[in-house]
Amino acid sequence: MNTKQGRLGWLFTSPYLIYAVVFFLIPLVWSLFLSMTDWNLISPTFSFVGITNYTEAFQSPGVKAAFFVTFKFLAVFIPLVVASSVIVALIVKGLPKYKGIFLIGFFLPYLASGVVSSLIVKGLLSYNSPINEFLRNSLGLDIDWLGTPFAALFVVAVIIAWKFTGYYALILTSGFESINKEIYEAAMIDGVSAWQRFWKITFPLLYPALYTVLILSIGVTFGIFTEVYQLTGGGPNFATNTWQMEIFTRAFSNLQAGYASAIAIIASVVTFISIFIIRKIIELWGKRNGWD
Amino acid sequence: MVGTKKKGLFFRYLIAVVLLLIMIFPYIYMVLNSFSDWEQVDKTLFPTDFTLKSYEWLLGGGEAVIPRPWLQAFFNSFLVSASSTLLMMVSAVLVAYALAKIPFRGRDTINNLILFQMFFPAIILLIPTFLVIQKIGMYDSYWGMILPKAMSLWAVFMYTNFFKAIPETFIEAAKLDGANERQILFKVVLPMSKSITTVIFLFLFMERWTELLWDMLVVKSDSMLTLNVLLSQMFGPYGGYPGPMYAASVLLTLPIIILFLIFAKKFQEGMQFSLK
Repeated sequence: MNTKQGRLGWLFTSPYLIYAVVFFLIPLVWSLFLSMTDWNLISPTFSFVGITNYTEAFQSPGVKAAFFVTFKFLAVFIPLVVASSVIVALIVKGLPKYKGIFLIGFFLPYLASGVVSSLIVKGLLSYNSPINEFLRNSLGLDIDWLGTPFAALFVVAVIIAWKFTGYYALILTSGFESINKEIYEAAMIDGVSAWQRFWKITFPLLYPALYTVLILSIGVTFGIFTEVYQLTGGGPNFATNTWQMEIFTRAFSNLQAGYASAIAIIASVVTFISIFIIRKIIELWGKRNGWD
Repeated sequence: MVGTKKKGLFFRYLIAVVLLLIMIFPYIYMVLNSFSDWEQVDKTLFPTDFTLKSYEWLLGGGEAVIPRPWLQAFFNSFLVSASSTLLMMVSAVLVAYALAKIPFRGRDTINNLILFQMFFPAIILLIPTFLVIQKIGMYDSYWGMILPKAMSLWAVFMYTNFFKAIPETFIEAAKLDGANERQILFKVVLPMSKSITTVIFLFLFMERWTELLWDMLVVKSDSMLTLNVLLSQMFGPYGGYPGPMYAASVLLTLPIIILFLIFAKKFQEGMQFSLK
């Protein structure tokens, strides 16, 4: 460890250090400061209001909604995307040839902008769309997809699951490849059925890949914005009001920058604690199956 | 026996193809509707009458009442995504190389700071980052879109892990030949990192190309809007032109798909490594 290397080390890492100060440390402090003011984003003056923003936030329906909506998204989106990516990975795994081409094909939805996929879905679900015409005429179902609380949440979850399925299937496929084939042969000799083979062998042995998928998809859930902004604006009646949506609306539409900063801090604390707890639960499940 | 096996295989491929078609159906629907007669847009799953009207509308700037510069927006998207991605790649390579291969005092501290920042919920930074950009006079400018996204901690993390896995012997050998750190980085380490570079590049570019929230906040001038933001504003709350909307969606999606397909093989190699 000589001085020349020391200087070079600092020189090479300097882009990060500058970035961390300007776009992490300063914003962090600024955010804490703002959260205790009543600043409106434009006015040159503001006053200190102490913790009023926080007490107000805890009682606001928008914040309460954001808290529960995130967990509803977790409950709907995660099982959906895990199931679909496991199915895709299983199907690709069963192909002796052209695996790569299929994986590339299934990956394509990941390239879609959230705006584009939302607009397509809006078209597909518009009142006179073929899907709704079919549901109305053949089944007598008249669904206002984006105007019904749970349907709206479900639609957004499906769009995001569609986007990530191929990506996660790619991760799971490499998980499958690392499973020792001899275990299956032994199980088949013992007469274990395919269904049991999947749940008792494949699923637990897939843990490292599943862990990656779960952590990634939980991160995605806490950052949902584009699809909600484009399709529902957080509605109907806050049914899809995610944290990002709430903060965006408060800060940039209602110009309550101080108040929105308080919400952002609450959101990040909630996010941090939730992800920590969920991770522990997943790791516990992994430990029970013999993974460290 | 051979017959049933072949049959089973045929069904496997059939299921895979059908599933794949379902998954990419939204794209098919988008392309078909962009060429479809305006009367049929969103009225049928498979339109029968085709026209170029939507593209003419789009590239001609729309109807006179709402002139929208779509080609300008395309250029903006490209400029912002390319510069942002380039800066993210260069900074990630430099930082990661130092963290993985140059022993210096303070390295562990920087490493820990990066990990801390990576797991810190980014949601808290939206408003104050906006204010920082405003304060340094970059509101409503290309730099305002580029600079806050000039560094990717994920890319640093990926490169650091990759560089760490490169055996010291390669670097020692180059040093014995009289190479300095810069030469080692460019002549030895980077040429070994082609597939991981492809993966990182594609993910960063895709993410930047489809960004909405930040680009929407920081730019107000019509002439600087990215394609994604323009599409969102034009057809979000106002609606009204479904045909051109699909044409604009094609304009936004096609380049990224082409880019991805060009690098698809290298991408898969890189993914295989990065997932191990």
